[in-house]
This record gives sequence, C-alpha cells and structure tokens, in this order.
Amino acid sequence: MRSLRSAAAALLVLVAALTGCTREGGSIDMGPTGGTPVEGGTATMALPPAATPNWIFPIGAPGYGASYNYAIYSLMFTPVYDAVQDRAKGELTTHGPGTLGLEPTYADGNRTVTVPLREGVEWSDGTPVTARDIEFWFRLVKANKADWGSYSVGTMPDNVKRFETVDDHTVRLHLTRAYNPDWFTANQLSLLRALPQHAWDAKTDGGRIGDWDRTTAGAKAVFARLTRHAKSLGSYATDPLWKTVNGPWKLAGWRDSGQVTIVPNEKYTGPKSERPHLDKVVFKPFTTADSEYNVLRSGGVDYGYIPPSVMAQKERFEDKGYRVDPWEGWAATYIVYNFNSTHGGALMDQLYIRRAMQHLVDQKAMSDVIWQGSATPTLGPVPVTPKSQYLSEAMEQNRYPFSVAKARRLLEDHGWRTEDGTARCVRPGTGDDRCGKGIDRGDPLELTLLSQAGSTETTNMMQELKSSLSRAGIDLTVRQQPLNSVLGNSVPCTAKGPGCDWDMSFFGTAGSWYYPLNPSGEQLFSTGASANFGNYSDKKADRVIRGVQYSPDMTAVHEYGEYLAEQLPVMWMPNPAYQVSVIRNDLRGIEQNPTVTFSPQHWYYVKEKGAAK
Amino acid sequence: MRSTAVPVTSPGDPGATPGNEEAARATPSLARRTLRVFTGNKLALTGVVVLLLLLAFSYLGPLVHDTEQVHTDLSRANLPPGSSGHLLGTTDLGYDMVGRLMVAGQTSLEIGLAAGLLATLFGTVYGAVSGYFGGWIDAAMMRVTDAALAIPAMFLLVVVAAIITPGEGVLIVIIAAVAWLSPARLVRGEALSLRDREYVQAMRMMGGGGARAVFKHIVPNAIGTVIVNCTFQIADAILYVSYLAFLGLSIPPPSADWGSMLSAGITYTQNGYWWLIFPPGIAIVLVVAAFNFIGDGLRDAFEVRLRK
Repeated sequence: MRSLRSAAAALLVLVAALTGCTREGGSIDMGPTGGTPVEGGTATMALPPAATPNWIFPIGAPGYGASYNYAIYSLMFTPVYDAVQDRAKGELTTHGPGTLGLEPTYADGNRTVTVPLREGVEWSDGTPVTARDIEFWFRLVKANKADWGSYSVGTMPDNVKRFETVDDHTVRLHLTRAYNPDWFTANQLSLLRALPQHAWDAKTDGGRIGDWDRTTAGAKAVFARLTRHAKSLGSYATDPLWKTVNGPWKLAGWRDSGQVTIVPNEKYTGPKSERPHLDKVVFKPFTTADSEYNVLRSGGVDYGYIPPSVMAQKERFEDKGYRVDPWEGWAATYIVYNFNSTHGGALMDQLYIRRAMQHLVDQKAMSDVIWQGSATPTLGPVPVTPKSQYLSEAMEQNRYPFSVAKARRLLEDHGWRTEDGTARCVRPGTGDDRCGKGIDRGDPLELTLLSQAGSTETTNMMQELKSSLSRAGIDLTVRQQPLNSVLGNSVPCTAKGPGCDWDMSFFGTAGSWYYPLNPSGEQLFSTGASANFGNYSDKKADRVIRGVQYSPDMTAVHEYGEYLAEQLPVMWMPNPAYQVSVIRNDLRGIEQNPTVTFSPQHWYYVKEKGAAK
Repeated sequence: MRSTAVPVTSPGDPGATPGNEEAARATPSLARRTLRVFTGNKLALTGVVVLLLLLAFSYLGPLVHDTEQVHTDLSRANLPPGSSGHLLGTTDLGYDMVGRLMVAGQTSLEIGLAAGLLATLFGTVYGAVSGYFGGWIDAAMMRVTDAALAIPAMFLLVVVAAIITPGEGVLIVIIAAVAWLSPARLVRGEALSLRDREYVQAMRMMGGGGARAVFKHIVPNAIGTVIVNCTFQIADAILYVSYLAFLGLSIPPPSADWGSMLSAGITYTQNGYWWLIFPPGIAIVLVVAAFNFIGDGLRDAFEVRLRK
C-alpha cells in the first residue's frame, strides 16, 4: 500500500513537471490591426533551422554566402542597390530609402552606367560615405575575385572595363558590352557595396591607412586582413573594424552559437524612414524546427515560424494573439533531370517523356494537402508569386495540368506499352511516333530520384509523385539522402563519366533556387552554367537567356520564361514558402521580402490606447 | 570399429539414464514437461495469443479488408476514424489506416523475425565455436565481439542505413549484424562449461572432431538459452526497425512498417490526428511485449528446477 502511495506521488510529481515543461506562453491581448505605435522594445526573431550566422564582412567569402548572413550584415552596411519593397506599388524594386544608390542611368547604348549615391550619409565615425568607398569595394573584389563567393566568370567585375569616379557622390562603370539595364541593375549593381575605406584600407592590423587598394598587391593584403578578422566570429562585437557602419543598426553581440543582437546606430544619417523604432533586435538560431516550435509556443520568440504540417493549428496561434503569414520566396522549385545520365539520359532527352511526367505532377493537390496551402505551383523559371513585371499572361497558365490520361497518351503515341505496371518501348527509332534516340526495344521506363531526407512534406511529395508516375507505367525509385549528400551527388557530369549515373535530383524542401531581383536563368539553364546540375543544353534556350542579359526589352524575359516553361529543362514542383511566419500581433511594420532580407528598422510595437507601454 | 552407445544426457535429467527405462516411461518426457511449465505461465500464453492475432491481422487481414496501399489519394488525406469505409481514418497521403497497419505489420514482423533468427543463428555458432575451442581462438573471437559491442548499435545502424538504400533484405542483414553479439556471448559461456562434460570428452576420445562437438553436443545442449534469447532478439529487432524508421531510414514507400507510420504520425501531433499515432504505437508495444512474455515463459520452461 505504501509503495502504491509512493508510486502515485511520483506520478503526480512527473505530471506536474511535464505540465511545467510544456507550459505555453501568455496570450497577446491585441488584434492584428489598430493600436497606438510606441517607440522602444525588443523583438526576437527566430532564424531558420540550423542557420548559424557566421559572416559579417560585406564581401562574402565562398561558403559564407548564406542569405541570413547577407540579411544581417546589410543592416549595418547599407547596400547600394537591393531588392526592396516599393510600398506604393507593392512591388520589388532595386532602390529606395533603404539603399545608398539612387536611380542609375544608362548611356552609350547601355555600355555605361552612372550610379548616383545618396548625399549626406555618413559613417558612424562622422566621415561622409563617398564614391571612394565604392571604389574601395570594387578594387578589393577585382583583385580577389576568386575569393569572393558571388563571383562567376564573365560577370561582375569581369564585365566592367573601367571604373570611373565622377565626383564624390557619383561613380560610372564602363561595361564590356551593352547590357539590359534591368538585369544589370538587379543582378550586378546589387552586388556593389560601400566599405569604409578611411577605416579599413590598411595592410596590417594597426598599420597606416592609405590607398593600398589601388595596387593589386595592396588590395590583396587589405582583403586578406579583413577576411582574417571576419573569420574570428567570437570577436565581432569587440573588433573596432566592425564598429564603423553606415546602416541603421550596429552590432551589440554575436555569439559563436550564431545568436546576433543589434541595436540602433545612433549616428545613422540616412533617411528618417529608415531609423529604427525598437531598442534591440535579437536573431536567435535553432538547431531544429521542433526546438523553435517549442520556444515559439512558450512565447520565447516574437517573430518565429511553424512547420507547414501545423498550418491546421493556425487558429490556435491566432487565438493567442499571433498572426500567421506564409513568407513567399522569390524562388523556383524543381527536380533536376540529368540529361547526361548513364542510365536515364536517353529518356530525359525526349521532350514528350518530360511532358508526360510533368502532366503527372499534381502540383495543386501537393500544395493544398501536403504543404497545407503554404506552397504554390511552379509553372516555369519565372516565379508566379509574388506578381512581377517579369511575368506574362502566358507564364501564369499551367501548360501541363495534372492528367494521367494525357501522360499515358503521350507515351502510347510514341511507342510505349505498359505491361506488368511498367511501360516498355515497343517501337524503337527516331520517327515522330517512335520512342526516340538511344532507346531500344523492350527498354523499361525506370528512373531513380535522389531526394533530400528530413522533411515529412518532401517525403510525402515524392511518395505522391512515385504513385502518380506509376499510373502511367513510369517506375520511379526514390532514394532519400541527407541534403549535403544529394547536393554532392548531383553535380554537373559528362555522359558515361564517373558519378553520372543519377537520373533525377531534388533539393527544394525550402525552394530549389532563390533568384536575385531579375529571375534570369543564366546560372541555371545556360549550357555549362555552374548551377546547371542536370547538364541541360539547348541552343535556343542559351539564346533567349542571353536576350535577358543583353536586351532592354521586357519581351526578352517573357520569351525566356515561356520557352523554358514549355521545354521543361527540369520538372517543375510546388514552390514552398520560405517559412510560415508566426508574428506577435503587437509587433508591426514587418515586410516579408521575397528575397529573404530583413528590415527591422521598420518594425515597431503598438499598444492599446491608454494601456501602459 | 563400432562405438558403444553412450546415452547423451542433458544436465539435470536423471530420468533418461540407462537402466531406468521404466521410470522414464512413468514420468512425462522432457518436451512434455517443458510444455507443461510453459502453458502454466499465463503471461506467456497471452503473448502467444497476441502474437497469433497480430500475425492473422497482418497476413489474413488484407483478404478480408482489401484496400489500395500503393497509390496515394490526396483527396482522402487525414480523414478521421469512422469516415466512410475507414474504421481508423486515413493517413496523410490518403491510405486507409487499417489496411496500412496490416501491410506495415507484415514488414515489421518479417524483418523482426528474420533479423532475430539470423542474429541468433550466427551468434550461436560463433559463440559455440569460440567457447569450445578456447585458447587463442576464443580470445581473438571474443575481442572482436567486445570491440563490436563498444560501438553503439544505433550509431552503426544509422550510418549503414544512410549509406545503403534500405530494402527489406538489407534491413534484415544490418540489424542482424549488430544483434548477433548478445547470443554469441551467452552461448560462448554455455560452451565453456559444456566442453568439459563427460559426453563431450568421450566423443573426442573416440575421434570426434570439433565440428561434431559444436553441432551435435554444444549447440543442442545450449538450445534452451538460445531459444529464450531468440525471442528477445526478435523483439529487439522489431524495435530496431521502428527506431530506424523513426529516424527516416526505413524501406522506401509505398512499403511501410509500424515505425515509419509512427514517425509520420508524430508530425501531426499538434493537429490532434491521434489515429496516426496510437494504432502503430500500440501495435509495436503489443508485439514487443508478446515476444518478451513468450521469452520469459520459455526461460521458465527450460529452467530445470521448475520442471516437476
């Protein structure tokens, strides 16, 4: 009896302890609208799972180019051009109050571009921000381009023939050829950055500040010193180098764990609209989505996220005073076809097979059911959401709606017959009604897909895809691997070469490719491009992609988007939201920029009229 | 040369000595007495009944309740229990939950049984050889076992399953590869005591070889230990399958096992989709408990002092 009572007591203690552990945070007594803005307060934002900020130097080294690094250092070092929200138009644009650059002007048949800088902006030590600071960046990048993560051959700085300083607040770039101004501003000028030359241009620590960057050797020495400091994560908060900033925020703390704290830069001289309202913003890292979810429920973050599988619980958060708002990314999501695959390359080469397979992707059902409405169908290389000037009416149409019948007919019309559940070629050859080059009589329609593991949504999406494909006799084997293994195994390769036996690859649980502002596909779909993992090669595709880079006519983008949407260089898949954000109702001013940058200077708290702050 | 028949006795089995045949006829046989002790254990019998029910549910169930378990149906995803034609609702991909439990049960039971038996078979032979031959052979073989035991089984399983795409056969082999260590050590202990028994020595004096000693005398006389351990091995193997599935390293869809069902269901805990979690969880608990009860019953049945 005594032991029974002891057991009951232990059980009670356990229940009480567990109840305590799972206690939910208090409710926020405020709706998503109304209230009186107040100054001050602290906001804690959750970073994506496993995202650990580890770079502050605005010239990102290879391997340190994560979007959250860019987003955080851009708050301290104002970009010259960036994808910023035009609040009046509700669109993304390249310049605004939050950028250092004003509208660029192109001349000489788009062979030169003049960049005017905002006047009256100063570094935190009182020195004006001038064209010399842009020149400093350009010379460092030119001398160290191999150590710059954003470099790719033929683009910045290779496409700049001469850098000219027009006056203290104007620079001019003389280009190697005529470029499309929209593309050049969005995807090349957005790389420019003003760096404090007067504070950083020294070859050694404590050495004399000079014009060392104006020689290649000097620029290399200066860059090496700055990079060395940037690799010393633990000393960011105390290192004097990073205290000279021109952005609305300055650094207050940067832990090895990745937690970053910023406070307003009281010496900020930019537009009033960019001055922070909050006293402090904390970016909090999490190892997993589950740990973030638990902290969110306990009220430990003010701006967090939930897994899509919890979308059904949206009302629960809304009842507690949070708003749930999916953060759409400016991205495309797809499965890569390996056109050089030793095993399935000949199958991938056939457009009718790619069309049949695209007809078997039920993007709407996947978006609605598996992603719980937090994904949208990808219909081509140009994102359909958010709306943009790059999108034509034709690009908004799904050319390959889900239809098992159409897929079957496409295969049957080209000489495939399904026996025992697997389609086999019965009419080999290269005619219009034949299976196609490299496909022999009796060859089965079997493919293998490498897919990233660790996400229920992705696993379910692949299971649904396998099921759909099997209805037309296509036998898909899905091999799940950790993301790094998938990325490591699906690299560009040569036909019949080593490591070229993979057929398809998926790494888009959080979107496969995030574009800069202009969604040109030169890095993805041009012959031999660095991110053209599937070795897609098509002369017309190369031509229309070059058209986007060189032609100022918007129809070039439309031609590119429509052609690649129809040609299916990849299998278009539902594009998931960057994250399903959950934000306190009393925290306002949050714009979820689709290029996944942050603007906490616009955030502020509100209170009910008459309530204490 | 014709050898004289030497009756082989099991330890503590006086009823089978020569010259006492009448007494042997009067007392029940060894097997009967073992069975009597086993059937006297209510928990063990419960285990047998539960196991038979689970086997019938998994293998005969689909004959009665035929459902689509290959193609998904997103229009029927996450239906609650009692929805038309779905006693336990549907999964997140629209599979009927009852049908899914049956298909998953086949996989879990097949892998568990096969891996448990394979591990026991290999471990028994390994341990018997090591214990019987002794000396440097024993030392070398046991150091291999010790070294393998020093590495956490889950770590090995996760690494191997991540490298190789896990199919049913692959899972059986990799689970057996980490599970054979326990029976090997147990049987080696038995072999160390059995090799000095008179009947083994007599066999050796008459020219019997090591293989005969191991397979005719050591293993048969350690069979009680082996069988009891085998039941625990099967239960552990089923749990290993579940662990791996929970970590996302199970056999690829549309196949399923109870562990992968549980893993998928946990994702929806916050949505209150209890029918995705409790049924596979209960099935795992039932089958593991059943094998453990059976193992306990067999251990008692093979225990000499309990035979009357």
